[in-house]
Amino acid sequence: MSTTRHAIIEEIIEAVVEGEPEPVIAGVRRALEAGVDPETVLNDGLTAAMTSVGDMLDRGEVFIPDVLWSAEAMQEGLALLLPHLSEGASRSAGTVVLGTVQGDVHDIGKNFVGLMLSGAGFEVVDLGHDVTAEAFVEAVAEHGAGLLGMSAMLTTTMPVMSRTLQLLEARSLRSGVRVLVGGAPVTQSYADKIGADGWAIDATKAVAVAKELV
Amino acid sequence: MSDVAPFTPAVRLSHLGDDVKTRIFEAALRVLADVGASVQHDEAVRLLQKAGCSLDSDGLVRVPRPAVERALSSAPNAFTLYDRDGAAAMELGGHNVYFGTGSDLMWQYDPHTGEHRPSRLDDIARVARVCEALPNMDFVMSGAYPTELDPRGVYAVTFLTMMRNCTKPLVIVAESEIDLGVIIDVAADVRGGRDQLRERPYFLAYVEPVSPLSHPAESVAKLLLCADAGVPVAYVPAPLLGATSPVSSAGHVVQGMAECLLGLVLHQHRAPGAPFMFGVNQGTLDMVSGQPSYAAVEGFMNYLTVVEMAKWLGLPNWGISGCTDSQAIDAQLGLEVGELTLLSMLLGSNLNHDVGFMGFGLTGALEEIVITDEFVSMNKKLLSGIPVQDEDLAVNVIAEVGPKGHYLRHPHTRRYLRKGPGQWRPRLLNRDNRDRWVECGGLDLREKARRKVQAILESEGPPTLDPVLLALAEERVAALKASPKVGSPS
Ligand code: B1M
Repeated sequence: MSTTRHAIIEEIIEAVVEGEPEPVIAGVRRALEAGVDPETVLNDGLTAAMTSVGDMLDRGEVFIPDVLWSAEAMQEGLALLLPHLSEGASRSAGTVVLGTVQGDVHDIGKNFVGLMLSGAGFEVVDLGHDVTAEAFVEAVAEHGAGLLGMSAMLTTTMPVMSRTLQLLEARSLRSGVRVLVGGAPVTQSYADKIGADGWAIDATKAVAVAKELV
Repeated sequence: MSDVAPFTPAVRLSHLGDDVKTRIFEAALRVLADVGASVQHDEAVRLLQKAGCSLDSDGLVRVPRPAVERALSSAPNAFTLYDRDGAAAMELGGHNVYFGTGSDLMWQYDPHTGEHRPSRLDDIARVARVCEALPNMDFVMSGAYPTELDPRGVYAVTFLTMMRNCTKPLVIVAESEIDLGVIIDVAADVRGGRDQLRERPYFLAYVEPVSPLSHPAESVAKLLLCADAGVPVAYVPAPLLGATSPVSSAGHVVQGMAECLLGLVLHQHRAPGAPFMFGVNQGTLDMVSGQPSYAAVEGFMNYLTVVEMAKWLGLPNWGISGCTDSQAIDAQLGLEVGELTLLSMLLGSNLNHDVGFMGFGLTGALEEIVITDEFVSMNKKLLSGIPVQDEDLAVNVIAEVGPKGHYLRHPHTRRYLRKGPGQWRPRLLNRDNRDRWVECGGLDLREKARRKVQAILESEGPPTLDPVLLALAEERVAALKASPKVGSPS
């Protein structure tokens, strides 16, 4: 890559890290004009920037809201880039139906998982909190979601997860969708017990597991 | 009057001027009147409308200043909680300070094996037993969630377990107005009737709206039931700084106050003069780890402000103490427990829950309760202030001893220690020299606390409950569990 092209990529990375959408858009536009391969812009620019933001969070150099701003700025750049990408590279990571289960109002963790998933390129259909098994199943069918994410923060509400899985089965939808569960009382062994496909302890892990599952 | 003299600190902390408190209160009133709130309970909305609030086309309820002022003037500035036997135990109000545990922890450090394992029903019994034995724990919350049980009716089972294992007043959590109703029935049986329970409340219910500005049907229904039954209730939001409240301390307090005060307006309209507790939990979302910190310094800042606002409004307050973000029973625990507990005492914060919480409200340790008890004991002495009578100023004693003498044999010294204020004696903290400490096993605070817990658990428990009452209570709980209306939607 020439130095100018290299400089443009660096600018994109910096703008994503700063969470500034305009310079990201400007950077992507300039990169395309300069003839940089769109997949290079994606991999070495946008995606690399998000990886480095994630690392910075791990080291405590940025705060969670910074990551959310970066993810949004990255998405703006991606939107501009999408038409230039090949089929494979431009494919969205998939559609996730997400919600906190019935009887449970705890939604901070779920919101956080949702923001991280959309930052990672998933289409997130957020059903909010107090979501019944029926509503989860209907939304999976309606959106043709490849992934269902359920959050429960109360021991009393965890059984809704298992009920939703049974209902998916009953409606013959289970084979078409991967199910990810999480929340403070939910453990890997509980996930195994109810037959979920994945469990994650936090939002970062949730993205990693989601990517593995779809 | 309480049968036990309440602790009221003579040394106090207060840092807000009237102008600042007025600004904060006015801002909360603006949120109530201009922003409004979502109230998801039809009857409550109608009651609020009768109290002068409006239900607007955006579906939000807006609360005007006079409604808040009326509620503030009818709400009692103090109320009393009574123990299982009906004796006055806690006078909540003024600068009286009380301590107790928190609820619902999912994990425990097993007091026997030290293993970190899921909480069980017998943990609740142990928490109650330990609190019963500790002189500076005034009330009991469950301390644990019984993860091995079917969730149906679980909070009524929890209540029964606490009641059987201690006589101190209780602070309870319920899932909805249905299990709360059963808990009230059981408490009324203990007292000999609904009116007697109203006269001598045995427990306070802890109810939470959802920040920001949302009042779900279950929360509101529990609040109204408490108003009707005359059961004291704390209607306390838990906005997490920067996640479900503004990131600024003042913004956090303003929003939290608006949430709590809407509850007050509703509660006082339904039952003017019924006992209501004001508060805003001080949670802070750690913006790097994503954990809901119980010990972040920003949270402490909000806490100072909220408790001062409670005093200014003339309402008894809900407080917090004895908890840590540490995952171990270690020095961090000691430091955080100490700081928060001392702040509560200096503030004259009334009902301080969450003693024994670790790891962001997910893990409990009985050792932490014992350590907090010791800390409270020590600081009750500190904050009682120094007496300055002639006997204390001791000029004649100084004269009698004179230069180059000593006081060890002076009668004043002996009298003071034996009959006067004495010297505060640690029960856990070390005051031994190295050799003696080594001789006694070289135990650190954690191990001493663990042994104290063991000793309490091996000692005789509290007087048992009347078997007739117990049978009746068990019947009520069994009926609840069998009811199609309760429990998990499983
Ligand atoms: C799809 O895939 C995935 C993958 C990963 C997933 C995932 C899904 N979902 C979550 N994750 C994971 O990733 C997230 C991001 O890293 C993480 O999400 P978290 O949610 O864990 O983390 C968030 C970023 C921050 N964490 C939080 O937001 C939760 C913090 C604590 C303190 C908490 C809060 C804030 C609240 N609460 Co409540 N609350 C507690 C919580 C204690 C705790 N440490 O969990 C807990 C969960 N609450 C509890 C209780 C008892 C209650 N609460 C209640 C109410 C509330 C508030 C409304 C005040 C508030 C919620 C506000 C809101 N909008 O969410 C009541 C229930 C209301 C209801 N019906 O839901 C009430 C019953 C209390 C009452 N007096 O009524 C306890 C549950 C005990 C149990 N065993 O069931 C509790 C552990 C605290 C305690 N010790 O008492 C991971 O879990």
